[in-house]
Amino acid sequence: MALPGEAAGRRVWTFQRGNALLLLPPGLFLIVFFFWPLLRVVVRSFVEPQLGLENYATVFGAGPYLRVLWTTIEVAGLVTLLCLLLAYPLAYFVSRAHGRRLKLLMIFVLVPLWTSVVIRSFGWMIVFQRQGVLNEALQSLGLTEAPVTFLPGPLAVYVGMVHIMLPFMILPLVASMRGIDRTLLRAADVLGAPPYRRFLEVFLPLSLPGVSAGVALVFMTSLGFFITPALLGGPRMLMAAVLIEEKANVQLDWGLACALATTLLLITTAIYLLYLKLMRRDASLPVR
Amino acid sequence: MSGTLGNRIPSYALAAFVTLFFAYLLLPSLIIVPMSFSGQSFLSFPPSGFSLRWYQGLAADIVWRSAAANSFLIGIPAAFIAVVLGTLSALAVERGALRWSMTAMALIVAPMMLPHVILAIGLYPVMLDLGLLRGYLGVIIGHAVVGLPLVFVSVSAALRSYSPALELAAMTCGASPLRCFLHVTFPMIRMGIAGGGILAFAASFDELMLALFLTGTGTRTLPRLIWEQLNDFLTPIVAAVATLIFAFSLLLLAMLAVFGRATRSMQASLPLASAEASAHG
Repeated sequence: MALPGEAAGRRVWTFQRGNALLLLPPGLFLIVFFFWPLLRVVVRSFVEPQLGLENYATVFGAGPYLRVLWTTIEVAGLVTLLCLLLAYPLAYFVSRAHGRRLKLLMIFVLVPLWTSVVIRSFGWMIVFQRQGVLNEALQSLGLTEAPVTFLPGPLAVYVGMVHIMLPFMILPLVASMRGIDRTLLRAADVLGAPPYRRFLEVFLPLSLPGVSAGVALVFMTSLGFFITPALLGGPRMLMAAVLIEEKANVQLDWGLACALATTLLLITTAIYLLYLKLMRRDASLPVR
Repeated sequence: MSGTLGNRIPSYALAAFVTLFFAYLLLPSLIIVPMSFSGQSFLSFPPSGFSLRWYQGLAADIVWRSAAANSFLIGIPAAFIAVVLGTLSALAVERGALRWSMTAMALIVAPMMLPHVILAIGLYPVMLDLGLLRGYLGVIIGHAVVGLPLVFVSVSAALRSYSPALELAAMTCGASPLRCFLHVTFPMIRMGIAGGGILAFAASFDELMLALFLTGTGTRTLPRLIWEQLNDFLTPIVAAVATLIFAFSLLLLAMLAVFGRATRSMQASLPLASAEASAHG
């Protein structure tokens, strides 16, 4: 812990100095139970079952593992895109609301966020199963004759994952849209800009900090999804976290599990650093 | 909608979009409620008949009851540890002379952003070495790691909402650091602390991955038991548990709304969102 004035020699006790020492207990706790375990994962990926890059050769060589990593990135990317397309108009609507109406809208956004992810995935199972809500609806509308098999499948995974990630896209978008000075839009209007130009040249550029924060947050989180792809996805939608859990917990192949986890850790850390950079530029968002 | 973008888009179209959107957001949570009162023993839709037998079965089943008890026995101490350590770290970063405060902040928030599976396979051997695997303490520590950033973010927001000059004034008037904390700082941030504590408890209550690796049959939590049931056999008993948990989380949200007022609800809702995100779909 570097404190200013340390080099000057004389240690003068100040309020700020005393407070800085408070970081010791949580710092030690995180070192022992967070950073040390992560380091062990990285080390283990190189030494188990024997010293070398064997595990990485397996992960990145021909075989199913590289495909799982690609599937993970692909699914996370598409989920992020879908979230952005759905959340943007909604965030626009929410950002214009005031008072009681704003509160009500925020509650609608926050309630699903607060429902357990396991439970929501269970809810989607009821919707997508053979005798589920969707199949009953399709048949009663006469669109299909026999029940369609949605489970396991990509549709259920995307519907479930987008559902979980939407609030994380909506909240930063609303935060940044509420900060936009609406008189700029009126100025564009007065100067004769048609609505699409007012949107493309004024509103959209000003909302970009929220877009980039939301995109980074949703993409980063989607990479680590476990419950939704495991329950609704099946073998064709195998994602990294599901595979890591299976390798370690079921097949007890810890070396390979750790190599996959280290790869996932690297990708997530890179996006996290990008996210922090974006946050720093836009101080209106938390986690500066 | 005059003067802004909306004047070309008919308002009923926007209203229809918003309604459909919220129907989508609420569907999976609400669909489980009618299923839990089903008279059949399988989960086809629409449920036929009405019965309370799944709730009765739940109340009588020792396995479900002990899982529910475990969730509280793990969630409450985990939230407590997270509250103490999270508050300390927020005080250090917001009110301390740290040269690398940005880096410190990024490192403290990291457990919230990282896929839990990586932490889980890392903590497994550590807990094995410490002899804490499958006991309560191992998973309590794991959940405290995940809850700490939530308390940190919530308390930091509370600390940022007033000027440090208040504390300096108290110290100048001769208050000891402890007295200053108890009489000046704590009253200003207690809502942030309570809100962070609820977030940390909720994160533990919903956490699956660490529970899969660190708990045993005796310390199994609710999410883990639900998970095992979902992979094996689907009966409306899971719907009954899910309905109860849904009601309970609404209660937590209402509590948070009360505490959140002190910490600027919008500011608090995003990190709170990330919290649940790291519970990882």
